[in-house]
Amino acid sequence: MKYEVVIGLEVHVEMLTGSKLFCSCPNRFVAEPNVNTCPVCLGFPGALPQLNREALQQALRAAVALNCKVALYSYFDRKNYFYPDMPKGYQISQHYIPLGSNGFLDIEDEKGELKQVGIGRVHIEEDAGKLLHEAGGASGGSSMVDYNRAGVPLIEIVSEPDLRSSGEARRYLEKLKSIMQYAGVSDCKMEEGSLRCDANVSLRIPGDQSFGIKTELKNMNSFRAVEKSLDHDIKRQARILDSGEKVVTQTLRWDEDRQETIVMRGKLEAGDYRCFADPELAPIELTAEEVELARQNLPEMAAERARRFVEQYGLPEYDAGVLTASRCLADYFESCLEHFNKPKEVSNWVMGEFSAHLNNAGLEADQASFTPEDMVELLKMIDEQVISGKIAKEVLEKAFVSGKKPRLVVEEEGLLQISDQSELEAIIDRVISENPDTVESYRGGKGKALGHLVGQVMKATRGKANPQLVNELLVKKINS
Amino acid sequence: MELRKTTVRQAADAVWKGEITAHQLIEKTLKNCSVLNEGLNIFTYLAGIDAVEQAKAVDQKIKNGEKPPLAGIPVAVKDDLCYGVLPTGLGSPAFSEFISPVTAAAVERLMEAGAVVIGKTNLDDMGQGSTTLSSPNGPTVNPWLAGRTAGSAGAAAVATGVCMLAVESDSGGALRQGASHCGVAGLRPTTGRVSRHGLNAHCSSFARVGITAFSGEDISEVLDLISGFDERDAATAVCREGISEIIKAPGSKDITIGYPVTAFDYLEPELREIFEQARERFAEGGYRIEEVDLGLLREGLLAYYVIAMAEAFSNHARFDGIRFGKTAEADSLEEMYEQSRAEILGREARRRSIFGAFLLSKDNYGRYYRQALKIWEMVRQEFETVFERCDLLMLPAARSLPRSLEGESGFLEGWSEDLYCAPVSLSGMPALTIPAGQVDQLPVGMQLVGPPFSEKMLLAVGSASGSTGK
Repeated sequence: MKYEVVIGLEVHVEMLTGSKLFCSCPNRFVAEPNVNTCPVCLGFPGALPQLNREALQQALRAAVALNCKVALYSYFDRKNYFYPDMPKGYQISQHYIPLGSNGFLDIEDEKGELKQVGIGRVHIEEDAGKLLHEAGGASGGSSMVDYNRAGVPLIEIVSEPDLRSSGEARRYLEKLKSIMQYAGVSDCKMEEGSLRCDANVSLRIPGDQSFGIKTELKNMNSFRAVEKSLDHDIKRQARILDSGEKVVTQTLRWDEDRQETIVMRGKLEAGDYRCFADPELAPIELTAEEVELARQNLPEMAAERARRFVEQYGLPEYDAGVLTASRCLADYFESCLEHFNKPKEVSNWVMGEFSAHLNNAGLEADQASFTPEDMVELLKMIDEQVISGKIAKEVLEKAFVSGKKPRLVVEEEGLLQISDQSELEAIIDRVISENPDTVESYRGGKGKALGHLVGQVMKATRGKANPQLVNELLVKKINS
Repeated sequence: MELRKTTVRQAADAVWKGEITAHQLIEKTLKNCSVLNEGLNIFTYLAGIDAVEQAKAVDQKIKNGEKPPLAGIPVAVKDDLCYGVLPTGLGSPAFSEFISPVTAAAVERLMEAGAVVIGKTNLDDMGQGSTTLSSPNGPTVNPWLAGRTAGSAGAAAVATGVCMLAVESDSGGALRQGASHCGVAGLRPTTGRVSRHGLNAHCSSFARVGITAFSGEDISEVLDLISGFDERDAATAVCREGISEIIKAPGSKDITIGYPVTAFDYLEPELREIFEQARERFAEGGYRIEEVDLGLLREGLLAYYVIAMAEAFSNHARFDGIRFGKTAEADSLEEMYEQSRAEILGREARRRSIFGAFLLSKDNYGRYYRQALKIWEMVRQEFETVFERCDLLMLPAARSLPRSLEGESGFLEGWSEDLYCAPVSLSGMPALTIPAGQVDQLPVGMQLVGPPFSEKMLLAVGSASGSTGK
């Protein structure tokens, strides 16, 4: 393509805290609407906000983890606009002075080289409630509001327009998520909305100093969707430019079903939020020592952990990299090791089958009903030759889907490995008599033929035969 | 017992000793209230049975050997302060049946001390004004002269003797001007001294919760009770480690009173003499008088209104028909907001919201709002400079006598009445209004302003001088 792609991302991350940003309501998801609410987060007259110090600490941790310069003096502003999901008619945010600025994170660019992506600002703000639209009725249905989420602490992380492809955008998000997870700031579950991303994208002729006209992309519910919608819009913009037309500034929404972007707002309405300092909240004052302490107390990040996995567990670098890409997965891996100390074996299963099922189900490791205890139970059964590795895959799948204990799955499905010699001998005898040619070619020195016979036995036992024992018995029978 | 001739201390004493029960005192008060209310329009709600129950509980405490410091003292609460038992009307017809889940911290503390809430008092449209002329319930009549406004209904409640205390908000001067117009004492405390939890402020930067009473002496009885750190109001953090009061004994050469000579030029001519006389009285009383310069009153007034309207625009945005007020039936969200808000906000509140939106808009923020913030800081410094040389400062509370209930006058005229009060609000410093004299049978009050946490000195000086309203 003859154009250079310019992408900047705005990411909202829900912070992990005990309570909301300005009141003591619990900060956790509940299905029942309007349960986690109080006069403060419902905007009752006379109820004043109080800053949750834990949220400030979390935001500070995020800012230092993203290598930001931290403002020792900042404050909250009100962003004023009317919308039913906002109980006060304004959102408390940081407009004029963000807590963190001038940060960066490293990703791999398209050539696989290290690239620093600038982070313009990291600021604290409160989440809004959620609108639930009820369809139908002559009146066109009604809308209801759930304020459980109103006042949940967020940080907004705004990248510089440093990203040059959809792939870089995805890697930036993956890296950001990893950092936020490792720093303990957020669980960053995009499907649950604890990480939300908007993208700005424009094209320009390489070498141009100024940016092209950008569009804003919204409503992307996964990293894949971010990548796809960017690709979609990059192509669309390129077509427009190729035909000599001009791109129009607009906001587009990604439609997951139709796999395309749809215009949301014709023109970017230059919203005037009338921001001003919130007179009900005290300014945020930090000392250089507090910031330094937050920096020093940052927990182990992905790269460090991967190094440790190689050194401590003797894992190949590849394994260490895959396992530590997500903090949940790395935690899962280490939980398994506590009761089953064979790192490479555990790694194979966690990286392989388990991760595949997670991806299919769109889950994170800590959301799976197949717990580290279950994994250990499964691995122990293989180790004790109760089941074969092949059967174990089947057991894992069934246990993963049903939430049953692996041992129970084995019992219910009759998957116990057949190690009973007499039972196996009868089957082996039958296989030998049914495949005289193969037996002959084995006898004639074709070692491969044995494999075929073993396969026949396994097939006859639906994989439950102890493969080692089958091998031994076959050789003995044929040679006798 | 006639409350007008009794101090808070004496009344609580009488209840302790059983000379009168809290129940009897409150029954009598309620009867007086409903009679007076018909003529003066002081109360939006009267507590009735609830007040009686509160009083009985106080009597029970006394039987149990407790000595609640404000046993049975009848208190009026301005209707922008939440009190969970009665409706909190906020000065809007849409809130006439609104029961708040919150009770204001100051009210809570007075009740813990044995005071009994008698009712909620009238206020301007969404609490915005110093006259009650824009109240959806009609204005409160001045008990001294029918046909004139009382300024604040709480002051009227105290002046008539139906209540001994009123808890009131004060942003641009409603409490202080009310006290002036009704011939009673009113204290606006230092920023952060009294929790604003439960106050529906139209202007958070300047709204404070204060006390109106017959005299400075009575206010002294309750100041400590309502002061101090409250985790529900971030501004009270200044009191977390306790309050270091500025205390000086009145009537000594130790105390220098600042006299801002040019400030009195803005007064209506018939009032000027009162302040010259007050100056003489102070001098005779042994105070040192120092002429000071207070040149930023007008700018302070303007800055106050710019900031107050900007904040009102934002503070009142929540009253949009979704969570608060009736949701209007309309075809679009925009229309719904428009119609719902028209029901909730009166003329004055709408005017201020619109001005506020204008002042904060992209084009005007730098032109007006940021300038106002600068003036705010300059005014604060000007007051600080005064208090480098003086212990306190005397100022009028209002420019003119209470306004007439009849006849339209422009809103700008109303706003300009805050000339002496609004700049003090910007300074964040405490101010006490005490009666200074009378003109045409109407009381005229004077503000004593002091440095932060000088309330006790202000109250001591105020109690020793000034004519009490009795």
